[in-house]
Amino acid sequence: MTEKFDEYRRTLIKQSISASTLALVAASGLVIPRVLLAHWPQDAFNAETLEDAILTFLGEAEEVNEEAIQFTIGSPPTYAVNGATVPVEISSSLQNIQRVALLVEKNPFPLAMALEPTSAVSFPFKTMLKVAEDSEIIAMVRADDKLYRTSRYVEIDIGGCA
Amino acid sequence: MAIKSRDRIRAKLQDGNTVVRILLAHPMHTGRGKNEQDELIPAEFIQDIRCWRNDDQVLTIKCGTATSRNPYFAFQLTGGEAGDVIRLRWVDNIGAKGTAETTVV
Repeated sequence: MTEKFDEYRRTLIKQSISASTLALVAASGLVIPRVLLAHWPQDAFNAETLEDAILTFLGEAEEVNEEAIQFTIGSPPTYAVNGATVPVEISSSLQNIQRVALLVEKNPFPLAMALEPTSAVSFPFKTMLKVAEDSEIIAMVRADDKLYRTSRYVEIDIGGCA
Repeated sequence: MAIKSRDRIRAKLQDGNTVVRILLAHPMHTGRGKNEQDELIPAEFIQDIRCWRNDDQVLTIKCGTATSRNPYFAFQLTGGEAGDVIRLRWVDNIGAKGTAETTVV
């Protein structure tokens, strides 16, 4: 008799524990996005000029125009049929990369994507971007407190509605 | 709304490095596109993607609206071995989020 009672008590306790954990998870689920959103660099992404976006996200540093970054865009390179999915590949031999920014000059908001890799990440990095019209596409890397900049011009057949 | 199970992530060893490929299922509305009734579709796009290998955070990707629909990413992680767990988490601008997980083969 007591055993049965114990068992009932146990399930009751178990249920109440899982219920409270679920409540916690739900509560944290409401909190997490707001915390993460705070980390989204809104000013940089909403900047409407190239210089503003670069300055806001990468900060000021000595700018080096170097061949340390290999950057291909479009398939075949420099040409993309559909602006909604323009393949971008960026690779670099640089060490200590702190930040990488991909910018599309003619888009309403130039900053397209921003990476914060750790030392465990090695390049190439591939992704796809939307490009509104024929435009210069710029990759900037901040490494060892220097900015490395490369750019490619890409022709677009159908605008990507970026 | 994104459907969780449609996010895909693959990781495999290649020449001693781990090659990770990610394909997320997300409409990525920029807020400037229009639907058939010529009404603006409100902005809905992934803003923040984080990647872990085992318990270490290895990469943060911040996306603007110019990331393509159903975003694709591929990158490499130095070293790694079979059985490593690659985990990913994304959040979009209206708070929807998703996770994906895979083991290195």
